[in-house]
Amino acid sequence: MLVVDRVSRSFGSVVAVRDVSFTAEPGSVTGLLGPNGAGKTTTMRMLLGIYVPDSGAVTWNGAPIALRTRRRFGYLPEERGLYGKMKVRDQIAYFGRLHGLHADEARVRATRWMETLHIDEYADRACNELSKGNQQKVQLASAVSHDPELVVLDEPFSGLDPVNAETMLECIRSLAARGATVVLSSHQMFQIEDACRSFCIVGAGHVRAHGSLAELRRAFPTRTVRVAPDLPAFRALFAAHGAASPRASGSELIYELPADTDFGALLREAVAAGPLETFERQEPSLSQIYMRALGSSNGSAA
Amino acid sequence: MSELGIVFVTELGRKFRSTIFWLATAGGMLAIAFLVEAPVVLASLARASSSDVVLAGSPALRERAAALMQAHKDFRIVASVDALPPHVTSAYLEAHGKAGAAIAVSLRGRRLHLDVYPKDLSAFDDVEFRSLTPLNIELATGLSPGIVERAGAIERTIHPLDAKFADTREAALAHGVTFGLTFILYLSIVISSQSIMSAVAEEKTNRIAEILIATIDPTNLLYGKTLAAAVIAMAQIALWVGTALLLLPAAATSLASGAGGTGAPGTPHVGETTTLLAILDPGLLVAFAIFFIAGYLQYATIYAAAGSLVSRTEELGAVATPVILPVVAAFLVAQFALVQPAAPIVIACSFVPFLSPFVMFTRVAISEVPGWQIALAVVINVATVAGSFWLAGRIYRVGMLLFGSLPSPKQVFAALRTS
Repeated sequence: MLVVDRVSRSFGSVVAVRDVSFTAEPGSVTGLLGPNGAGKTTTMRMLLGIYVPDSGAVTWNGAPIALRTRRRFGYLPEERGLYGKMKVRDQIAYFGRLHGLHADEARVRATRWMETLHIDEYADRACNELSKGNQQKVQLASAVSHDPELVVLDEPFSGLDPVNAETMLECIRSLAARGATVVLSSHQMFQIEDACRSFCIVGAGHVRAHGSLAELRRAFPTRTVRVAPDLPAFRALFAAHGAASPRASGSELIYELPADTDFGALLREAVAAGPLETFERQEPSLSQIYMRALGSSNGSAA
Repeated sequence: MSELGIVFVTELGRKFRSTIFWLATAGGMLAIAFLVEAPVVLASLARASSSDVVLAGSPALRERAAALMQAHKDFRIVASVDALPPHVTSAYLEAHGKAGAAIAVSLRGRRLHLDVYPKDLSAFDDVEFRSLTPLNIELATGLSPGIVERAGAIERTIHPLDAKFADTREAALAHGVTFGLTFILYLSIVISSQSIMSAVAEEKTNRIAEILIATIDPTNLLYGKTLAAAVIAMAQIALWVGTALLLLPAAATSLASGAGGTGAPGTPHVGETTTLLAILDPGLLVAFAIFFIAGYLQYATIYAAAGSLVSRTEELGAVATPVILPVVAAFLVAQFALVQPAAPIVIACSFVPFLSPFVMFTRVAISEVPGWQIALAVVINVATVAGSFWLAGRIYRVGMLLFGSLPSPKQVFAALRTS
């Protein structure tokens, strides 16, 4: 299990990460969310031992992250890069070897991953001859061909078309299904909402919210209800229950109510108040939770 | 295989498979072949235009002059005439054995006088006619040629101050060989500096650095890449030196056996080339190997560290200049050491890191150096290599993550402190 315990890291006078804590279980995907400059990449680099925290600790299965441990990790950094003139198969095998695989095994795994990612037809082509999407697949294969225990993916979906993004998501799910601990960062809330078991939302170097989607929703202070039609009686009823002014969405109105509202009682009262066509209570989306957690405190740290 | 081994072998394979490497190597071999063969071509051209002469004058005087001129192999007499026409032209020289010059010898009072009509004015100076000095003295004094010759020869006995060399010829050859070997070291470092820097900068310029640093010990990456670049550079230089050694004896033979002989000073003879190879004794070669490897690695690691600070290949030039200058300085100090091996400043410099490989090797090659001084220099060099690797490893580790514009020294030091 990965445990990040109150880690902080500064660069000169700039505090990039302050007291960030979260855990990630084997077989799970953890989403590290935050705006640009929130400290996600710095946090990920500390997970991988690239940066040493100024304070706090990162442990893997109870032990500090040592070089030997790092060989069992896989990393896809935000800054993509490949050896342009190296052949695809050689590239994947080379990284496999650097992660401790024997030369023959590294080539076998490289072939397997090329097949999985549908890039086997480019095996003997130089990487710089591939499209951007296929290069990204080569990078993913290079990061995971050694079956890492911890996979850290920094913005894995950036620059991918919907089809390749779905392929990437499938790979992430299969890695977790095989028991790997996956930590990823992304701005694609919709894509990762279902894939991640837990989330850590950071802003300006601080953790703003942490937990599973259910936990984050439980902690969310309001719920929305879609109501149609727009009748004065309904407006009065929802206002009486503490709703702010509703937002219009097509023919419906969206009311935001305190989370502890008795929605069953409210529904009964609404039915009694007029000809109710729509009454749909909605759980907060990850995007709403993210926006609320960050508020106006978008950070500027590295 | 260890991390270092994997990086080293992979890098070596990549470089050996690269077209650029073979183009550069072949280009270098061609350039060396040209440099070796050019003097032969130029010498033959020079002989055709200046060594071949038409000699004019009274038969008695002409014969005496011809004997001296040909004995010293400065000239080849292609035609002998009693008198030259009033106006000597190029056409006249062309018609008389395609000569490079016409020389008329005559007496003015009791002195020899020469009228010279060269095609190329720059090819004649006083040195060319020194062979005629005995004839001039003979005519002026009336002494017999035998007496003049004996009087002209100065007997000398040279007493070496140490037992390093048996005679001046051996000492001169040793100086030449030492210069050549230090030049090879200098050339190796300068030529490979750019390739080492760009090889190390590659991971930053193609943004692969972060993955590697997250995976392996950055120092292994640095060492693997540096050693591979060093092996590649040395292989390249070995091919170039091999080309030169293959062609030099033939070129020397050609120069030595050329028509009219070899008048130019410093022109190699076959005998000299053979001796030159023979005096490369095993001790000297071992010393060269030690100081070459130590010197090369000291500079190579610094170049590698400098390369790690670069984010774009266009910035390589900016970091190359300051790190190239020390090797130039070291080579210049070695040239001074070649003349003054026992000067206090030279002795001191032979223990200074980065200068020592050049200066101590020069001292060892041309003078008697106490064993303890050699041992101390070797220790200093080994320590410097270790220190360079350590420092370069640290700079590399932080340099690999410093993206953006070229960092200032202050930023590098700050990053080193916080790494």
